[in-house]
Amino acid sequence: MSKTYYLPQSNEVELFKAAEGMNLPILIKGPTGCGKTRFIEAMGEMLGREIYTVVCHDDLSAADLVGRHLIDENGTYWQDGPLTKAVRNGGICYLDEIIEARKDTTVVLHSLADYRRVLPIDRTGEVIEAHPDFMLVVSYNPGYQNVLKGMKPSTKQRFISLSFDYPKADVEKKVLMQESGIDEKIAQKLVDIAGEIRRLGDCDIQEAVSTRLLIYAGKLITKGFDPYQACIHSIVESLSDEEDVLEVLEKLISLHFTKSLNV
Amino acid sequence: MDEKVGKFWDKYLTKKVSRIHKKEEILFSDINKTLKLFYHLLGGDKGKELHITDKRSIKTSRTLLEKISGNGETFFLPWQDEKGLYLPASLGYFPLKTHNEMHYYWLVALLTQVNIKGSNREAENQKGVRVLIKKYAGFREFYTYAHQYLLNHYPELSTIESSLEGSSAGNYPNPLWIYPSLSSANKLLDSDDEEEVQRQNDEQRKSETLQMKKKSEQIDDKKETDGLLMFLPESIMSLMEQVKVDRQENDSYDEDALYNAEDLDEITLGQKDANLSARLKMDLDISANSIEEYPLGKGHFIDEWDYKKEVYLKNYVCIKPFISIHTEPIALPKRLEKMMRRIQSELDLMELDRIKRDNLPYGDEINIDTWIDYKGHQNRSNHPQRFFETYERKMRDMSTLILADVSLSTEAGITQEIRVIDMIKDSLMVFSESLYRLQDRFAIYTFSSIKNTKVNFHIIKNFKEKYNDDIRGRIDAIKPGYYTRLGAGIRESAKILEKQQSANKLLLILSDGKPNDVDRYDGRYGIEDTKKAIEEVKKKGITPFCITIDIEAKEYLPYLFGRNSYALIRDAKKLPKVLPEIYMNLTK
Repeated sequence: MSKTYYLPQSNEVELFKAAEGMNLPILIKGPTGCGKTRFIEAMGEMLGREIYTVVCHDDLSAADLVGRHLIDENGTYWQDGPLTKAVRNGGICYLDEIIEARKDTTVVLHSLADYRRVLPIDRTGEVIEAHPDFMLVVSYNPGYQNVLKGMKPSTKQRFISLSFDYPKADVEKKVLMQESGIDEKIAQKLVDIAGEIRRLGDCDIQEAVSTRLLIYAGKLITKGFDPYQACIHSIVESLSDEEDVLEVLEKLISLHFTKSLNV
Repeated sequence: MDEKVGKFWDKYLTKKVSRIHKKEEILFSDINKTLKLFYHLLGGDKGKELHITDKRSIKTSRTLLEKISGNGETFFLPWQDEKGLYLPASLGYFPLKTHNEMHYYWLVALLTQVNIKGSNREAENQKGVRVLIKKYAGFREFYTYAHQYLLNHYPELSTIESSLEGSSAGNYPNPLWIYPSLSSANKLLDSDDEEEVQRQNDEQRKSETLQMKKKSEQIDDKKETDGLLMFLPESIMSLMEQVKVDRQENDSYDEDALYNAEDLDEITLGQKDANLSARLKMDLDISANSIEEYPLGKGHFIDEWDYKKEVYLKNYVCIKPFISIHTEPIALPKRLEKMMRRIQSELDLMELDRIKRDNLPYGDEINIDTWIDYKGHQNRSNHPQRFFETYERKMRDMSTLILADVSLSTEAGITQEIRVIDMIKDSLMVFSESLYRLQDRFAIYTFSSIKNTKVNFHIIKNFKEKYNDDIRGRIDAIKPGYYTRLGAGIRESAKILEKQQSANKLLLILSDGKPNDVDRYDGRYGIEDTKKAIEEVKKKGITPFCITIDIEAKEYLPYLFGRNSYALIRDAKKLPKVLPEIYMNLTK
């Protein structure tokens, strides 16, 4: 039994296992806070593999992944990066938000992500063959609209793709109750609110409310916070800065969790 | 004096009778924006607009005082049809503002619950009420209060009580309910809706024909300018004749607008020699400062995709490049300065973005990593020895082409004073200003079309020109054109962008509706050609992105551009502010 709580949305666990059995790399896409990272953690625990997580950013160089020379009292020595460690010892290398990394950085993954499964390190002249337990997982959020960023098709087409979305209402409700300890009634309300906000779609708010935000709201409520206040601070304010959107979201919350009308 | 007394008396009576709380009233115009958002939040149809409802008279039993003062006879009832929601202009049944405001939200929420076509008004309303008070604690509280209050203060409403329980219906309208639309047959209501529709149609046609008429008159005027015509070749005479005929037809509004448009086509393009007609215009209209559209060459031909035959129609569309001359150079309008200041603060953030470049043969600092790498390298003579690093401002290496659709539909008003085209102009000004400050390379073109034989492609700014007052003058001179042959506009823009040297190329399309033209370029044909054009653009390594104010665009834009390559702007007035923001987001 794994420690990390994860409730499957559909067939992702089976797919992950199948991909793992055949040494195929996996690409996970989905909006923020829908459970991508949690899924990887749960899978790592289930398969008993260590996870090397790298959060990508636009200054991430290939050396940050592969490794570099460092100095000690005896002179220079080679230090493996997280990717190289995973390749040598086996484990899951998880590159979060891979789209943020510069395109030239992600190219080092190519030889690992196809049938070759090798990592050439040009600085030391070494070519490492991947450990049988090595697995490559990358994730990104396709919701960002950006011209300069985006995955090269040549990178994209080396992965098995898993598409995540916010969990279905009943799944999300269970997740909320488990994660934040609120009762079913409040969980149902939060899920209702989320369903309504997600309907607004992309023209008014950048991205809809995530399961993570709902859990935050739930946690505040279990701590004894007034549900209305909890929702305002965790959900409404995080979603938008536009006056009119804020106003209407506030109204929605006040309809679900009453703030006395006669104030 | 008599009049004064009468007025006073009237005021007194109305006041005595009216149970509306004037001071606490909430106006529809103040909160309609939030109501609309709220409607969408509860799952309402995004294509629907919110409007103020008209008065309706309903026969009720009135008190003597009410009869004298003429109060209580007409009501502003909330209703809906396929096009929109109709709500009272103001609400003031309750003594507290919060309740009156809540009343609006209540009506909007109930509108999402009530079936438009439902025949049984009572059952529909009751069902809706039950759903709402069950789901929302806030509404439950409001409804309990409002129901009680109305019963106490509007005794004639007591019939509601019984109707709520499902027996007889009262004929005093319940302010908490939704009513059937005017057009649906209902004995209770006056039906003057059809006339309204007729009138609107007429108006629309009038504005269309007016546009056409203007054009023809413009040409007609030249006839009278001076005696120059005396020296013109015979062909011109035939032009005059044609003009005459057309004008007569235009005098009656009954003519089909479409037919007029086709006729107009004849007038301006009927000449075999395009240059000749252009020269004619120039000669006659050269008076100082009058803005003139100057054709750049005879035009050239490009292909179009026919989805039925699945072939390209070779050289099927004629692109005619134009430029506005004699425009007055203008500075950035005062009304946009405040907005520009706000955007500037966002631009500053972008400019701070500096990146480290390493692996340089020379630079500001030594990169210690490279040095160590060199020390640990097995074969030092093979090492590139680029030890330096430097911080520099991110050169974005971007070329952006903005293609604005200036079809006739942009003539439509957003409010009384502002038209869509005004917003497009403002947006272009703010946007160019932003890109100029970011030092990004950009060009602006607009287009509109009449059939495949004439796609006007206006140059506002090309990539080489400097952004200055003249460009702003040209933006200011933009006029609504004819139709939207979007595929042609996109192909022509792609040709220009393709020649740019930048690593990243962005084609930003500003549109207000579906691709359409007077010929078969409508519906499926137009959509398919546009889709094909976008595919071509992507193959050329250009990123297309569409910004639209057409609320129905959700139905076709994902098909044309893909899920992440478009933005929908609900409120056209926000366009100037949102456009630079979208750009910055796209290129961050």
